[in-house]
Amino acid sequence: MSKRVLVVEDQEDNRQILRDLLASVGYEMIEAHDGEEALIAARTQSPDLILMDIQLPILDGYEATRRIKAQSDLRHIPIVVVTSYALSGDEEKARAAGCDAYVAKPYSARKLLETINRYLT
Amino acid sequence: MNLEADSTPSFLRPLAAISRARRDGKSVKDGRVGFESRPSLRTKLLMAFLIIEVLLVSVGVIGFLSLREADQQTNRVVALQHKIEAYRQVQHDTLRQLHGVSSALAFPNETTLASALRQINQFGYGLDRVSFVEKDELALLNQVREEYARFIAVGSHVIDLIRNGRAAEAKQSELALGPLADKLERLTNQLVNRAEADMIAGIDASRHTYAKSQVLVAAVALASFVLTLVLGHAISRSVIEPVRIIHDGLNRIAAGDFTRRIEVPNRDELGELAAHVNSTCEELQQLYRSLEEASRHKSQFLANMSHELRTPLNAILGFSELLLDGIYGDPPEQMRSPVERIQRNGRHLLGLINDVLDLSKIEAGQLRLSLADYSVEELVSGVYTSVESLAAEKKLGLRVDVPTGLPPARGDERRLAQALFNLVGNAIKFTDAGEIRIEVEAKGDFYKFSVQDTGLGIDEADQTKIFEEFQQVDNSITKTKGGSGLGLAIVKRIVEMHGGRIWIESRLGHGATFSFLVPARLEQQATQT
Repeated sequence: MSKRVLVVEDQEDNRQILRDLLASVGYEMIEAHDGEEALIAARTQSPDLILMDIQLPILDGYEATRRIKAQSDLRHIPIVVVTSYALSGDEEKARAAGCDAYVAKPYSARKLLETINRYLT
Repeated sequence: MNLEADSTPSFLRPLAAISRARRDGKSVKDGRVGFESRPSLRTKLLMAFLIIEVLLVSVGVIGFLSLREADQQTNRVVALQHKIEAYRQVQHDTLRQLHGVSSALAFPNETTLASALRQINQFGYGLDRVSFVEKDELALLNQVREEYARFIAVGSHVIDLIRNGRAAEAKQSELALGPLADKLERLTNQLVNRAEADMIAGIDASRHTYAKSQVLVAAVALASFVLTLVLGHAISRSVIEPVRIIHDGLNRIAAGDFTRRIEVPNRDELGELAAHVNSTCEELQQLYRSLEEASRHKSQFLANMSHELRTPLNAILGFSELLLDGIYGDPPEQMRSPVERIQRNGRHLLGLINDVLDLSKIEAGQLRLSLADYSVEELVSGVYTSVESLAAEKKLGLRVDVPTGLPPARGDERRLAQALFNLVGNAIKFTDAGEIRIEVEAKGDFYKFSVQDTGLGIDEADQTKIFEEFQQVDNSITKTKGGSGLGLAIVKRIVEMHGGRIWIESRLGHGATFSFLVPARLEQQATQT
């Protein structure tokens, strides 16, 4: 059974990139467009990994991460946070929210896959 | 769009308020009215000098009066001396007359007689000289005159008798002369004694007056001295103290502390000055706040803007990378190069946007160092890995010289790596042949990182400019190399936030060495200047 990756991303272009990338290695991709959708999808779709953007409508990536990690039955799902830019200080906040790893935009497709694979294989 | 509409009025609002306050200038005028009834500094100084002058004049007057009194005393003593001299002369004359009359009796010839008569007639001159007689002496003097008159009368009678050859009668009459002379001597002695007593009293009085005036002059001089000192001290206190307070206040303002008002007790020009400084300080504070706000708006704008710019750019970079990676099937050979160009230019654009964001964050003081232990070796090798391919592309040598076994350092590893990366990136960009050397040295409590290249080198005149924002050495070569001109400014800020410093050694045409020194273990972020 193929691995399921929940991608939380509000930009359609970015979702398309990830769609193409994940499809190329045979992962199934579930999509959420904001933090609230992410919380629902994390519970109902039982993904193997969550790729979380920071700047999201309704509920931002930090808060969504914090809430998922606060639930004992969801805590085991690895969350990779995509920070907007290395110098902005997002990393510390992401770490504080309880993510397992982070990648800074602009990420290289190969590097992102490496990080994802660390948790899925 | 939304952002612009919001920020423009709030930029201008505080500035407009200040210029309004400055135009009406109310606070300043109010201050001046309040001070007019109080003595001004000018009046105070004038009063002080007036008092000092009065003191000087009074010392002079007292001295002059004392001198005059001393002079009068001296004159009196001299007069008494003359008087005594005159009395003595009277005594002397009397004796000579007595002697003359006796000789005339003993040797009665015309010579002795004429001599005796001449002496008797001369008598009285000396007495006349004593013309300044005091009233209580007048009686005594008249008595002397009377006795003289009697003496002269008897003397003349004796001489007449001798002339007429009545020697026996003359002898008889002459006997009366002795007691008369004795009486005269007694009287004149009385006068002399009195005069001498007067003189001694006069000398005593003069000595006393001298001592008295000495004490008086000394006392007045001392009092003037003390008073002048007290006055000077009071004046200088009332001038220097407020000046010091105002000076301290200005120092505080210069250091950026606008919160405290300057309080001076003066109600003169200095009080007015302090009030002016206070109102200026308030204006400065308002201006400072509005500038801070403007600066915050600016960095917020830049942060938002760069995020907005990065989002589509990320998509461009993402898709072009997927294309090159063959996610959509192997790209035809002639398409590869254009897509690579898209990638390269996109990354360059991203670098520029990031530089602007970094600098605006640093300038707004929003960037905090995250301090942790790190390994210098790992930091340098990380930078090496990321620039290796760039150097290889230009066929440049890349050497690293880091001493092994350095103790763990403490600082913001990622930012120091960014700084070193910028320096090495620049070195590669501006070097066409030769090699780049990355060196680390432990220097006491500091680590020195240096990047040496064999590139163009930088003219001495340009060496300080390159660390400023938006400055690049202006020649055709750098123009073709591109870059935002922010890289070195960012490096400098990062190094300074670590409490370190950065410098360059270079000669045009002989390469350049950029070095920075940072504390080996930084426990607290350096305050930004």
